[in-house]
Amino acid sequence: MTTKRIAVMKQLLAFTGIEQDRLQLEWVSAAEGPKFAQAITEFTNLIKALGPSRLKVAA
Amino acid sequence: MNEKVKAKVKELLASGRIKGFWGLRTMQGNIGPFLFSSPDDLDELVVGDRERPGDTRYPLNKLLVNLARCYPEEVFGVLVRGCDERGLKTLYSWNQLNPEKVVPVGIACPQELAEACECLKPFPDEFVAGEKAEGSEFVSVANVESLSLESRLEHWLDQFAKCIKCYGCRDICPVCFCKECTLEKDDFIHTGDLPPENPIFHLTRAVHMAGRCIDCGLCNEACPADIPLRTLYKKVADIIDEEFHYRPGYGDPKEKSPLNILGEAPKH
Repeated sequence: MTTKRIAVMKQLLAFTGIEQDRLQLEWVSAAEGPKFAQAITEFTNLIKALGPSRLKVAA
Repeated sequence: MNEKVKAKVKELLASGRIKGFWGLRTMQGNIGPFLFSSPDDLDELVVGDRERPGDTRYPLNKLLVNLARCYPEEVFGVLVRGCDERGLKTLYSWNQLNPEKVVPVGIACPQELAEACECLKPFPDEFVAGEKAEGSEFVSVANVESLSLESRLEHWLDQFAKCIKCYGCRDICPVCFCKECTLEKDDFIHTGDLPPENPIFHLTRAVHMAGRCIDCGLCNEACPADIPLRTLYKKVADIIDEEFHYRPGYGDPKEKSPLNILGEAPKH
């Protein structure tokens, strides 16, 4: 269900002018510390590359 | 158009097939919703064409849901355009109405209205009055899509900034039937602020329209700030169709919304 919602949400964000990469979905169990760290590092790098949200600039 | 509908309703009421009929009538020069209960009392029944076709519409389905909750055993008739019929089917699918207790009396919208609404199917499956018009493409959606990402955000923020948070879009929506509404939950959206927290407020509502919105456009008509909500929800409907091959109200009402069942994974 979450996979479905995220797929819809990403496209809705794109339609309203927000980079859809700002929304990411990842499944990580509590026993997967390194995977969690990796996912967050990748996400952080992605967000840094995208730069500040124009939504934040507008506000 | 009015006379054909009157004849049909008269027959339904006189035969005892329905207990009452949710339609529209003229009252002191205005048009409003009315529950007709006698076959001899249909003189003022109209289909809602005041100055232009379909310029006076009400969420009759929503009134029907309320009435059916009070009288679950009775059968009621209701005036439906193509969009209203989609609303009925969606309400059946979400178990808000029992199809065995509803008798729709359909009318087809003229081409002019179909185009103004960008309606894919401006007629119900069966109708007693009007001519079948051609469906129309979602031009308004394509217009927004032709903009750059930056311009889209600017466009929507400008539109959403006009919101006075009257909840008119939600209150008039025939498929908004939740007892508790996220839009009023402080945990999700700051309540009490004007304009509301944007784009969160409107995106939240848009997400809740996914798999539900039947593109009747009443939200757009009710909005005192003229926010093009219909365009936003049309896009949501397109996304759901693309991802899950589902468009609320067009198929079999037994089919559930993809966001209501686990079902297949999205395409993208």
